[in-house]
Amino acid sequence: MKVVGARLPRYDGVGHVTGRTTYVDDVRLPGMLHAAALRSPHHHARITHLDTSAAEAMAGVHAVITHADVPLLVYGHLSGGGIPGDEPLLAKDHARYRGQPIALVAADTVDIARAACAAIDVGYEELPALFDVRLAFDDDAPVVNDAFGNWYDQYEGNLDVRQIRKGDIEAAFDAADLIVSGVYRTQSQEQVPLETQVCVAVPEPDGRLTIHTCTQAMYFSLGVVCSHLQLPMSQVKMVGGTVGGGFGGKVDTASDTLTALAAQKTERPVKWRWTREEEMLASGNRGPWHMEIIDAVSRDGWILGRKMLTIHDAGAYGRFSVYGVTKHSFHHTGAYTIPNLHFDGYVVFTNRIPTTAMRGYGITGLSTAIEVHAERVARELGMDPYEFRLKNANRVNDTSPNRIPYEDPSTVEVLQSLASATGSELSDDLRAMTRDQRSADMLPDHLAAQIGSGGGH
Amino acid sequence: MALHRGKGLATIEYPTGMNQNGDPSQAWIKVKPDGRVDVFSGTSDIGNGSKTVQSQIVAETLGVPYDWITYDNSNTDSSPMCTGTFASRATFVAGNAVLKAARQVRERILAIASRELEIDPEDLEVADGTVSVKGTPAKSMGVDEVAGAATFVHGELLTGDGAHLNPGAAIVDPETGEVDKPPHAAISYAACAAEVEVDDETGDVRVLKLTQAYDIGRAMNPTLVEGQIEGGAVMGLGFGVLETCYPYYPSAEHRGDGMSTYHVPTMAELPEINNVLIENPSEGGPYGAKGIGEMANNAQPAAIANAIYDAVGVWVTEFPITPERVLAALDARSEPRREGRMVAFDEELSINSFSSTRTWGA
Amino acid sequence: MELTVNSVSCTVQSPPLTSLLNVLREELDITSPKAGCESGGCGACTVLVDGQPRRSCLTALCTVDGAAVVTVEGLGTPEDLSRVQQAFIHHYAAQCGFCSDGMVVAATAYVNAGGSDDTDAIREALAGHFCRCTGYVKILEAVAAAARGDELDIDSTASSANNTYVTIAGAES
Repeated sequence: MKVVGARLPRYDGVGHVTGRTTYVDDVRLPGMLHAAALRSPHHHARITHLDTSAAEAMAGVHAVITHADVPLLVYGHLSGGGIPGDEPLLAKDHARYRGQPIALVAADTVDIARAACAAIDVGYEELPALFDVRLAFDDDAPVVNDAFGNWYDQYEGNLDVRQIRKGDIEAAFDAADLIVSGVYRTQSQEQVPLETQVCVAVPEPDGRLTIHTCTQAMYFSLGVVCSHLQLPMSQVKMVGGTVGGGFGGKVDTASDTLTALAAQKTERPVKWRWTREEEMLASGNRGPWHMEIIDAVSRDGWILGRKMLTIHDAGAYGRFSVYGVTKHSFHHTGAYTIPNLHFDGYVVFTNRIPTTAMRGYGITGLSTAIEVHAERVARELGMDPYEFRLKNANRVNDTSPNRIPYEDPSTVEVLQSLASATGSELSDDLRAMTRDQRSADMLPDHLAAQIGSGGGH
Repeated sequence: MALHRGKGLATIEYPTGMNQNGDPSQAWIKVKPDGRVDVFSGTSDIGNGSKTVQSQIVAETLGVPYDWITYDNSNTDSSPMCTGTFASRATFVAGNAVLKAARQVRERILAIASRELEIDPEDLEVADGTVSVKGTPAKSMGVDEVAGAATFVHGELLTGDGAHLNPGAAIVDPETGEVDKPPHAAISYAACAAEVEVDDETGDVRVLKLTQAYDIGRAMNPTLVEGQIEGGAVMGLGFGVLETCYPYYPSAEHRGDGMSTYHVPTMAELPEINNVLIENPSEGGPYGAKGIGEMANNAQPAAIANAIYDAVGVWVTEFPITPERVLAALDARSEPRREGRMVAFDEELSINSFSSTRTWGA
Repeated sequence: MELTVNSVSCTVQSPPLTSLLNVLREELDITSPKAGCESGGCGACTVLVDGQPRRSCLTALCTVDGAAVVTVEGLGTPEDLSRVQQAFIHHYAAQCGFCSDGMVVAATAYVNAGGSDDTDAIREALAGHFCRCTGYVKILEAVAAAARGDELDIDSTASSANNTYVTIAGAES
C-alpha cells in the first residue's frame, strides 16, 4: 500500500487556507431574499391565535410561512424506521419549547425580516412546563408530547422501555461479595460548529428546487425535505458536501425545508442563516442522561452482574432519541464482559430544546458513567485500576449485551499500550495477557456458560 | 488551601456505523479519456476528511496517482445515495462503497489493456498509473493510453459502481434485547489517562495532560486520524469540565447564548496530549479501517473525574465538573453508605423502586 | 468611503456604521471572513487592518475609512501560498476550514510581528480564536513552524512527535 496509509494533505486544504472554499453562506445569487424566524418565547404554551397580516403588509416582505403552508407538517427523523413522527415543522397549536419556530419571513434584508417577525401577532396561553426528567412520570406532570405522552411508549412488543436482559441477574447478586451503586448525570452539550445552520434555496425555471445545504447527510435531508414538501426526489437537488463543522448537529436538517418553502412561495432565491444565539438557544444539542448503576462484584474482582436504569432527556420531541437509547443499551457494559444484565432505558420528554445527534451519540454520557463507576468499584476492592479493567476486559468470543460475540476486541491492548505510555506498572501476567479467548483453565465460572459450546449465549 | 495533583483512567469501546446497521452508501466512478478519475459519492465532508480518505482508497485500488482523482460529493443529482457523515461511517461504510466501485473500474482497465497488449488480464497489474505485464515490466501501457483506447478504439466507458450495506440487525426479542445479527460494522476501543490539578479553595480543575491509546483499525491517513483524536480529546475535556447548555440544570433559564457565555475550550485550556495509535485491522473495513471519529470525545470526562478523586478524594458525578461542583463535593465529603455487602455511593438511587407504571421513587 | 482591500482600491457605499464584515461579504463579495458569531467571540471574521488583526464584525466601516484591509485571500493564492498557509496545510491545521480564514490571518499577524515558535506565546496570541475540529494541537505546530521559517512540503503532512504507532501482534498486513 502506498496511497492508503500515506500522510497526504487534505483534498480541499488549499481552498481552506486561501479563503477559496465555498460554504453555503458564501453562495450569492441575484435577487436573493433573506429569512428570519419567529420563535416561541415560552417554554410551553398554547397558541391561541396567529395573525401574519401586518407582517405581510410591510415593505420589503415577500412571504410569511406558517404551519398552514407546509404540505406535510409532521415528519419524524426516524419515520423511515417505523417510528412515528411527533414534531411539526412549525408550531401550530402548541409551542413545546422556547425557541421553537412558529413562522419564517422572507424579505429583502435580514433586518426587514426580523422586524416583520416582531410584527406577527401571536397569542399565547402559557402552560406549566416540565424540565426535570425525574418528575415526568408523576401523575400531575404537565403533558409534553402529543404523540407519546411524557415518555416514548412504542418499542417493539408494545414496550415503553428499551430492555436488556441477559443471564440470571438475581443469581449474580446472590453470589456477589460486593454490591456497588452510583448515580451519574451528564449534561446537555452544544455541538458549536463554527458555521451556524444555514441554507440557500433556489427555485429553478423547470420547477425544481436547488437547496444549498449544510447538512451532514444530503440524502437523509433530501428525504426529509421531499417528505414535508410532498415531492418526489427528482424535484429537489441538494447541493452541499462541504460543511463548516457538524459534530452531529447538522443531521437535523434544521433550515432546509423552511427555506425551500419560502423559495417556492416567493419564486426567489432565499437565504436563511441562523445567528450564533439561535444556534446556541434553539438548535438541537446533546441530551442530558440520568444513569443509575448497581454492580454485583466478586471479592477477586469479577463483575458478575449489572443493573442499570437510564433516563434520557430527549427535550420536547423525539428526533433520534429512540435510536440513541437503543444504542446506549447495546453498549452499557462498555469495554468489559458482564454476563448477567438487567437494563431499562427510557426516552423522556421535557420542555427543552429537542436533543439530537452529537459525536458519541448515546455513548458519551454512558462511557462517562460506567468508567467512573468502574473506578469506584476498583477502589472499593482495593484493586489496581488497570488490573480490574484488564481482568474484566472484552475478549474474543465473549458476548455483547445482546449476545453477539466480539471478534477483535482490544480492551487489553489499549490498556497495555496506555500503561506503557504513562509508565504505569503492570504485573507480568497482565503484561502477557492477550485478547485471545480465555482458555478453559482460566475461565471464571460465571463466564463459562456464555463461552461454552453454545457460543452466543 | 492547596493545589492537588491526581491521575485517572478510563477505557471505552464504540461501534462503527449506525447502530443496528442498515445504513447504505453508494458510489460511482468514471474515467476520462486521459485516464483521470472522477469519483462521485454522496458523503458530506464536515471536516472529517472523507474527501481525502475516499480519494486515497480509489487511487490505491486503481493503482493511479492520488492527484489523478477528482472527488465530487457536491450534489444529489450526480452522486448516488449515501446515508451521511455521522456514526463514524464515512471511512468504513462509504469507503467500502468507493472501494467496490474502484475494483470494478480496475477490472475494466485490465480488460481493455488485455485486448491492447494481447495478454491475459490475470497476468497484468496496475501501479503508478501504468498497466504492466507481471514479471515483464517493460511491456506496459499507461492507464491514460488504456482510457484513450477504451474511448476511441473500443467505444467503451471505463466506469464502475459500488454499494455497501451492512444488513440491518433486528431486535428479535424486545424483552431481552437479543438481536439476529451483529448490530455494528466494527467496534473500536480506546483508553485515556488524565492528569489534573485541583485547587481545593476555588474548586478549579486544570487538566494538565491526556495520554490516550486508540485502536484505529488501520490508519488510512495517519495525520487525519491524529486530527480526529486530538480534536476529540479537547471536545471531551470541554464535556468533562467546561461545557453545559443548562448550567443550573434543571433550570431552563440560564443558558450560554454565545461564544463567550458557553465555554468551548480554547488554546488556553489545551493540555499536553500524547497518543498511541494501535493498528488492529478490521475484517470488513476498507484496507482494515475502523471508524474512530465519534469515540474520540468519550474517554476523557471519566478519566478526568477519576483523576479528581485521586487528587482530592471526592467523586463528582454530575457533569461538567465545574468549580461549584468540586467545592460542593469537598464540603459534603462523606464516606459511602455501607450495609453488609452493599456500598451506596449516591443516596438518591431509585432503580429498585422505579418503573414507568409507578411514580418516580414511590 | 474608501478602502484598499487586498491591494485593490474600492469606494464603498454601505452606511458608516455597517460592520466591516458586512461590507466585505455583502457589498464587496469577499467571503473569506466568516460570520461565526457576529459579536467578536469566535475570531472567524479576523482581517488585517493596516497590518493589525481586527474582528471585522466589531469594526464599523467609518473607523477604517482609508485603511488597507487584507483578508486571507490577499495573503496568498493557491499558486503562491504564504508561509503560514503552507504551514497550515503541512501541519493539517485546517479540518472543516471555517475558522481557518480568521486563524490564518491572526497567525500571519503574529508571525509578521516577529512572534517566536514558543507555544505559550502562540497560545497567548491566538487564544481568542475558536476551532472545534482540531483541538488546536496542529494549529500550534503550524504557527510555530511558520514562525521558525521551516521549509514546508505541501504535498505531504507532518508526523507530530506526540503520536506513536504500534501494530497488534498478528495483525500485521
